[in-house]
Amino acid sequence: MTDAGPPEMTRRGFLRKGAATVAGVSAAAAALSPLRELAPDDVPSIEKFFQKHYKEMTPTEKEAVLDRVAREVERRYAVRPHVSDPPPLDGVEFVYGLSITRCIGCRKCVHACVKENNQSRAPEIQYIRVLKMQKGSIDVETSDHHYDPPVVPDHDSYYMPVQCHQCAKPPCVKVCPVEATWQEPDGITVIDYDWCIGCRYCEAACPYWARRFNFAKPELSADQLNPDMAYLSNRPRDKGVMEKCTYCLHRTRRGRLPACVEVCPTGSRKFGNVLDPNSEISYILRQKRIFVLKQDVGTLPRFFYYFDERGSRYHEPIVPVQQSE
Amino acid sequence: MAGGPWEFQSPVAVATFVPTWAADPTPVRQPSLRPEITVAAYRFRCSDCHKLFRSPAETTRSLTQHSHIELKHGINTRCFNCHHIVNRDAFVDDWGNEIPWNEPPRLCAKCHGPVYRDWLHGSHGRSNGYWDMTRGPQVRRKCIECHDPHQPPFPPMSPAPPPNTLRMGDQRPSEAHPGVVDPLRVYQQRGAGGTSEGQP
Repeated sequence: MTDAGPPEMTRRGFLRKGAATVAGVSAAAAALSPLRELAPDDVPSIEKFFQKHYKEMTPTEKEAVLDRVAREVERRYAVRPHVSDPPPLDGVEFVYGLSITRCIGCRKCVHACVKENNQSRAPEIQYIRVLKMQKGSIDVETSDHHYDPPVVPDHDSYYMPVQCHQCAKPPCVKVCPVEATWQEPDGITVIDYDWCIGCRYCEAACPYWARRFNFAKPELSADQLNPDMAYLSNRPRDKGVMEKCTYCLHRTRRGRLPACVEVCPTGSRKFGNVLDPNSEISYILRQKRIFVLKQDVGTLPRFFYYFDERGSRYHEPIVPVQQSE
Repeated sequence: MAGGPWEFQSPVAVATFVPTWAADPTPVRQPSLRPEITVAAYRFRCSDCHKLFRSPAETTRSLTQHSHIELKHGINTRCFNCHHIVNRDAFVDDWGNEIPWNEPPRLCAKCHGPVYRDWLHGSHGRSNGYWDMTRGPQVRRKCIECHDPHQPPFPPMSPAPPPNTLRMGDQRPSEAHPGVVDPLRVYQQRGAGGTSEGQP
């Protein structure tokens, strides 16, 4: 028995340490193995990681960001998009009008919006929710947005589509902890999808149930992609960010009508500049009976439901007049 | 439960098939806005025939020609309330004067005054194109691009697919609690072997 020299490595001790090492290394490898499956989209690029807030970007930096977005879209979908950032127009404040006398609940607006704004198809994200309401009631708690009869309209109901109301006092903007969402000078509340942290406070704050969250990786096939994109509206989103209706700002800031207005077969949807006294929407606000959804919450929406003097007659079957003799 | 309790089941429902008509902005009707009729691939003006054959003034009898037309326009049951009795290439106004075929709103305005006023100001009817007419054209759809003049109520149509979203199941009021929407009920149903959305 000597007491000098290094501790003796016994055969048993060697095997024990060796086995522990192998187990440790393989456990670490197993724990890290999901990293091997990471797609390039799952890790932000260096330039995306160090990207500034939208409002702090210089025009040159903005150009670089738009180029990066275009490159990422091209890599993911093999389609070269036109990514732009149209600024708000001077002297323009967008306001929406919707005639609940005329809406028949066909949901064409829902799907035209999805096609225009590159929403995820699975999980399904839709900005417009068409509520089937009981006649004589404005209680949204008793409404149904899953109706699927062979034909619409149902004679005992009316239909009230709900989407982002672009409020003048938006509670969603107030609660955002990182200022990833804000109100633009033309009244549109926008989201910087690269700045959003996905906390969903805004979704909880919205009284109109208008914000949508990408719970999973958005699924959208390349042939369904709309290549006309804007940074603040319809460029493809990532998992874990909020999105919502932007009144199609890539269209409307260039003078065009939103996709939901274009597609509405009954002409129930009206859109325009409320600061122009000759616009359709100014006429509606002056002359029509207006209804603001959840007026009591004080959000001052830029989305107005209106009525006609006499209701639509789709609920009255036209009886052929009896011909004399 | 095909793969047993250990198989991963994604809560993401499969993408719903959406027909192309659901996002198609074409108006429900595409009238030619010209006084023409196509018979056996030949196109005639209305006056081509109606110069030869005069119609009786009262037309309560069933039609011998144009028999596909079924007039269900409320109390408006006379052809010559709208069509000009002499010049069949035109409509007729309240004084017996002609209204050109491509201006049907003036004809409809004879009876539908408030709607015509709203249409002029843009609160009734469809618009397509640009809201800012300094930047591009706006197409204001005419009456008969949505309404069949002989059966004017807007035709019922089949609705596009309903939402098939991640978290929102069937939230219709149940029979047990009519009028009450309880989101928790959805989870109870699922726990009791109900179907999750997307896999009916």
